[in-house]
Amino acid sequence: MSTWLTLGRGFVLGVVAFSMVGVITAAFVLLERKVSARIQMRVGPTRTGPHGLLQTIADLVKLVMKEDVRPEFADPVAFRLGPMLTAVPAVLSFVVIPFGAPLVMRDLNVGIVYFLAVPGMTVVGLLLAGWASYDNYSFLGGLRSSAQFISYEIPRTLAVVTVVMLAGSLNTVDLLEAQKTVPYILLLPLSFAIYMITTLAEVNRVPFDIPEAESELVAGYHTEYSGFRWSLFFLAEYGALFAAAAFATLLFLGGGNGPVLPAVVWFVGKTLVVVFVFMWVRWTLPRFRADQLMRLAWKVFLPASLVNLVLAALVMMAVGR
Amino acid sequence: MMASDVLFVVFGVIAAACALYGVLTRYLLRSIVALGAFLTAVAGEFYLLAADFVAMVQIFVYVGGIVVLMLFALMLSTSGERQPLAGSDRRGLSALLAYALGGMLVWASVGAKFPAVLDRLPASVPYLGRALLGEQLFAFEFLGVILLAAVVTALALVRSERL
Amino acid sequence: MTPVLILSGTLFAIGVFGVLTRRNAITMLVSVEIMMNAANLNMVAFSRLYHPELMTGQVLAIFGIGIAASEAAVGLALILTIYRRYGSTDVDRADLLKG
Repeated sequence: MSTWLTLGRGFVLGVVAFSMVGVITAAFVLLERKVSARIQMRVGPTRTGPHGLLQTIADLVKLVMKEDVRPEFADPVAFRLGPMLTAVPAVLSFVVIPFGAPLVMRDLNVGIVYFLAVPGMTVVGLLLAGWASYDNYSFLGGLRSSAQFISYEIPRTLAVVTVVMLAGSLNTVDLLEAQKTVPYILLLPLSFAIYMITTLAEVNRVPFDIPEAESELVAGYHTEYSGFRWSLFFLAEYGALFAAAAFATLLFLGGGNGPVLPAVVWFVGKTLVVVFVFMWVRWTLPRFRADQLMRLAWKVFLPASLVNLVLAALVMMAVGR
Repeated sequence: MMASDVLFVVFGVIAAACALYGVLTRYLLRSIVALGAFLTAVAGEFYLLAADFVAMVQIFVYVGGIVVLMLFALMLSTSGERQPLAGSDRRGLSALLAYALGGMLVWASVGAKFPAVLDRLPASVPYLGRALLGEQLFAFEFLGVILLAAVVTALALVRSERL
Repeated sequence: MTPVLILSGTLFAIGVFGVLTRRNAITMLVSVEIMMNAANLNMVAFSRLYHPELMTGQVLAIFGIGIAASEAAVGLALILTIYRRYGSTDVDRADLLKG
């Protein structure tokens, strides 16, 4: 009996994770449009529903009713697998996020490594989508996107390693406990800076969105996708964005710790602040060229994160772990 | 029958099926994707064997690194043709050999008597850390040197335009 | 314990079949990786038996993964070099040393 209970619980949690990502994507698409509008001194969608709140639902209805087009020479297996393999790891990374201390789907002892490793599978999906579309622009977009992703993975991992050094555990719930006195952003500011910038590169957002740049590559690796498959890519992007922001809150801002309100409210609130900062950056800065981007990763961020490791060791000594 | 047993069988069947498909299919891309699925199933098996850190390293390095590398090599070396590969000769003899080897391994496993598996350790990471930087320190550092050598070799090989 | 060993034995045999049968260099590498994973599975299974706190099997599996990574990198660099020289990745075409 308990076997079926365990398996059933796992299945239900999977469904919950997918629905959460779906709702978050819907909300964030609207949020992005409103934020970008205000930054550009206009108003954004206001007609569908009160203050434009039903805009995303309208978009979703439109997307679902679109014809599912597949280019004639596209490899059918890879064309279908690409969006799925991009979206699923983004959803999977929600499993180890503690929304306030007890609310975590699975309290893995290696939660932080899980969070860094599982989105790495997205690259396979990107390459498949770019290759399968049988189109030069998609292919280039896919290659650039994966090269960018794997290049920025290393400084990001090293920045997270410094936090793990201070916290002494790979468990995500332990990180909440460890920051009860002082959030790590005060102890490790350079790690925070490196993490925020490399995360922007990981989720393909400006200033690192060369793979999707409309003026360069039509739409990069998702040029040939329409309707629901295209929305899977967007699910992946906004899901990964929320997960990365939640992780930034967890690692650096002491997510969940706060005076009066319940931990969940603090956690979600801080995460939304970080997401707002990401969106603010997107609509303020111009984008990097592909070679500038790669040069930044290998010649600036990698040495910086290595130096940061030494600095973190000094901080550890000072704090007295 | 516990949940972990059910999952063990599921992951095992997925791993064997993906390995078989990867080895038999005539399309290169599908072979590599099958390898990716196989590696993820094996990572699941690792997790069920109380080796959670090894499972994460497997996903990080194998799926996120080696499969990506193979896909890059595929894309740089087939110049746009997506024809199926030629069939292979020597299939009968190879199958016989593989059956013999597999049969021998399975027969040895079934016949042996193992002591009871001791209790699951609470967390593998502290023990792994102590082992890597204690007993196995030399091998650990040497692995770093091997990786450095591999990076330099790969760069040197790929950079030379003239042969 | 026994089911794990049966699984790793079967996977190893599948890998051996692949290496002997395939002619394309990249699919041969795929088969080799299958064999290496079967061996890693075996090592991790055995590490639970005697002195599990030493984690020797798991450490060896991690080393195996690291070495497989370097082997894949160098192997794929070699494959690309062969492709540039012979125009194909079929290993039966690279026969300069033959006869």
